[in-house]
Amino acid sequence: MTDAPEDVGSDRRRLIGLIVGAVIAALIVGLLVVGLVARGGSTSIDDALVAGQRPPAPDITLPVLVSGPGLPPVGQKASLSSLKGTAVVLNLWASWCGPCRDEAPILQKAWQRYKGRGALVLGLDLQDLSENALAFLKQYDITYPSLRDGTDASKRDLEATGVPETFIIDKQGRIALHITGQVTDIRQISVPLDQVLAEK
Amino acid sequence: MRRALAVMLAVFALGGVAAPAFAVTAQEIYRETRCPTCNTPLDVSNSPAAQAIKDFIQVRVAKGQSEDQILAALEGEFGREVLATPPKEGFDLVAWIVPILLVVAGLCAIPFVTRSWARRHHADAPAPEISPEDAARLEDELKNHPG
Repeated sequence: MTDAPEDVGSDRRRLIGLIVGAVIAALIVGLLVVGLVARGGSTSIDDALVAGQRPPAPDITLPVLVSGPGLPPVGQKASLSSLKGTAVVLNLWASWCGPCRDEAPILQKAWQRYKGRGALVLGLDLQDLSENALAFLKQYDITYPSLRDGTDASKRDLEATGVPETFIIDKQGRIALHITGQVTDIRQISVPLDQVLAEK
Repeated sequence: MRRALAVMLAVFALGGVAAPAFAVTAQEIYRETRCPTCNTPLDVSNSPAAQAIKDFIQVRVAKGQSEDQILAALEGEFGREVLATPPKEGFDLVAWIVPILLVVAGLCAIPFVTRSWARRHHADAPAPEISPEDAARLEDELKNHPG
């Protein structure tokens, strides 16, 4: 006994409907997974540091907010890779960040101590309004240079969770230390920086 | 008395219109903007970054800048991600077109789905019960049927 043509057509339509529904559901789930993975913080830098390795610093290229030694003029782009040969104290900050205000004098002190000794204190102003950032630097008499990123791209590349965070990058462009949160004592910077500067 | 009432009404009307007009404009831009650190609309965000952007918007609204000018300035500072709604151009058009297409597809599917349901309901319906009188009559007619 064979099915009526009407039943066969109905079954086919139902099957097509199921397939289309499944494809749409799979697409939505896929988009959610991609979104979650993209948002989820990676920890490969910290994992490498904990294992005693020095991972390469991501090659961030950003506009200069305040220029300094080895950097192009304000508004032009600078990349971390162009600073190889110099030990870099990279400090992530923003004018709206309270702890950044408290640690700024310590970083300024470090800059005065290490300026001209093969080290560069470099700010990275994140997700901030330029005019507020410049007012912040003026208010706290900050003279070390800064780059600027209005987005969170460089924060993601550095696997940072927020501001303030500080990285010490050796002369070969590798991350030697990651300080999460506020720097409260200059020795948090000076001890590892002296070690990095002493390396060939 | 009438004059005093008129003056009071005029003052109330001016005050009542002028202050909210400023607030509404800033609020409208808040709704068009996202907080860059928490990714929520600016009007529901109280993060320090959001507060700084709200101040930025209020200053520009007070200066008489248009919504487009302020949004363009914010986009220049933070990139497109600061806009709560994607622009209606390029690849971002997908975000506007896909929901409309889905609604249209859903509306088009309604007749097919309802027809399919109706057919299934019809097929599954039990045969109507026959009364004893009708059953007897049917029996008689079948007996008397020449074929």
